[in-house]
Amino acid sequence: MSMIAGGYFLLVMGCGGLGLWIAARVRRRPQELREAMMALTLLDTEIFWSSTPLPEAFAALEERMEKPWRLFFGELKQRLRRGEAAGEAWRDTIAAQRAVFCLKTEDWSLLKDVGKGLGRSDRQEQHKQLELIQRQLAPLREQSAVWAEKQAKMWSYLGFMLGVVGVLILI
Amino acid sequence: MTLRDYFLAERVKLLPGGLKQPEEAERWTPTNRDEAGWESIAHWFGRALGPVIGRVRVIPFQEAEEIRLRIKQPLLLQTTRRDHFLDEKSASVSWQQAYAVTSADLQEALERMTYSSIYAAEQELRQGFLTLPGGHRVGVTGETVWQNQQVQTLKNISALNFRIAHEVRDIGLTILPYLLGADHGMKHTLLLSAPRAGKTTMIRDLVRLLSDGVPGLRLAGQTVGVVDERGELAGMRQGEPSYNLGMRTDILDACPKSQGMAMLVRSMAPQVIVTDELGSPADVEAIADAMRTGVKILSTAHAHSFEEALGRPILKLLIGQGVFERIVILSRRKGPGTVEKIFDPRDGREFFNARGKGRSED
Repeated sequence: MSMIAGGYFLLVMGCGGLGLWIAARVRRRPQELREAMMALTLLDTEIFWSSTPLPEAFAALEERMEKPWRLFFGELKQRLRRGEAAGEAWRDTIAAQRAVFCLKTEDWSLLKDVGKGLGRSDRQEQHKQLELIQRQLAPLREQSAVWAEKQAKMWSYLGFMLGVVGVLILI
Repeated sequence: MTLRDYFLAERVKLLPGGLKQPEEAERWTPTNRDEAGWESIAHWFGRALGPVIGRVRVIPFQEAEEIRLRIKQPLLLQTTRRDHFLDEKSASVSWQQAYAVTSADLQEALERMTYSSIYAAEQELRQGFLTLPGGHRVGVTGETVWQNQQVQTLKNISALNFRIAHEVRDIGLTILPYLLGADHGMKHTLLLSAPRAGKTTMIRDLVRLLSDGVPGLRLAGQTVGVVDERGELAGMRQGEPSYNLGMRTDILDACPKSQGMAMLVRSMAPQVIVTDELGSPADVEAIADAMRTGVKILSTAHAHSFEEALGRPILKLLIGQGVFERIVILSRRKGPGTVEKIFDPRDGREFFNARGKGRSED
């Protein structure tokens, strides 16, 4: 009897844990978006104000950012030092690292635009381009905060609920 | 007396490559050094052109001077002696069969040469060339963006001229003995030559020799100040010179000569000041000021001959004032860096003449 009760308990806890894990991932999305915006602001500063070449600018970002963005810019820096073009390097780094992030496809489609024309024009142009993307990211981040709050709450309950439902079915 | 005899007599150690005769180049077979040379520059070109440059085996790397990329024109490689058109397999072919450079090739090459940061190279593009690590220089032409009475940057790049840098060690030894006085001190010297005759290479090596000192000539190392207005001498990249200019050399990069000379005299106490391409009115004053402090001058100017130099007002003024104690004339007659004549312009005394003593320039 106690074995069965233990099993039920584990099922509820397991499902609940899974729910909490998903909720935590959901909460990371607005945070990652916020950090992406910060990174783009820093990149813009490096390009516009100090004309830093991209490999060094990415190295600076690698130092300033937290994981997972730190790894992202680290890889970019390496690729550029190997002589890859910035646009390709940006695209390939996203392809290689997107699984580490908790961002959604719509976020990536916007972030992919950063790579288009990156480093290929003068400072003014680069500045305009980065600013435009930041402006588009801002509402996305706001929405994602609201979305994440709801989703996270839902998943943190839903996990346990599913566990309980499972137990009820089994009984 | 030939230069070679002179060195044998003076027991100055002459390293290979110092006095390369054109005949020697005829008996050439590809070596590992050539292979490494070509591969070392291949990564600056795009995906299509990189392998082509990396696989060149028909031309000795040491002889290659320029790689020319012009939009929709055949890929051209210029050596000291002739032009080669290259096809996709890096063979030297007729221009009709050669690889035609595309706009994508130019774009990719420029991206690699600027580390994908064209905006960061704006200042260099404004001057019309980029300096790469290793001292290679890349001339760029395209459409200029004109604003506020000056060129802002270049866009729609139409041609690149990749000038391969070869460090020619000890070429300066061929003329240095003539530039020293009885007290083993340096004389005020002006190098004259047409473009691509090895003027910059020569002066660069002289700087290194002066700075490090040459025991064979009983020349002690001197503090040398270099004003590198056009960034050609040192090829500075983020404070680091691409060339070895010696251990007692201070370099002021991208600074106008007239101001740079005064700055160096004030701050670095040089014994020799080196600049290239004299010719603006402000240089006269600056040189006079520097000379008052006892600094020796080593400089260059564009001119095919001494007569042509005298035809240029600023040079005529400087030479007329008796500023220079030695004039060296270089040409491409036997490859870049051929020394034609070394003389004292004040009394016409000749120290060396490649065409035999007493014969004047023709």
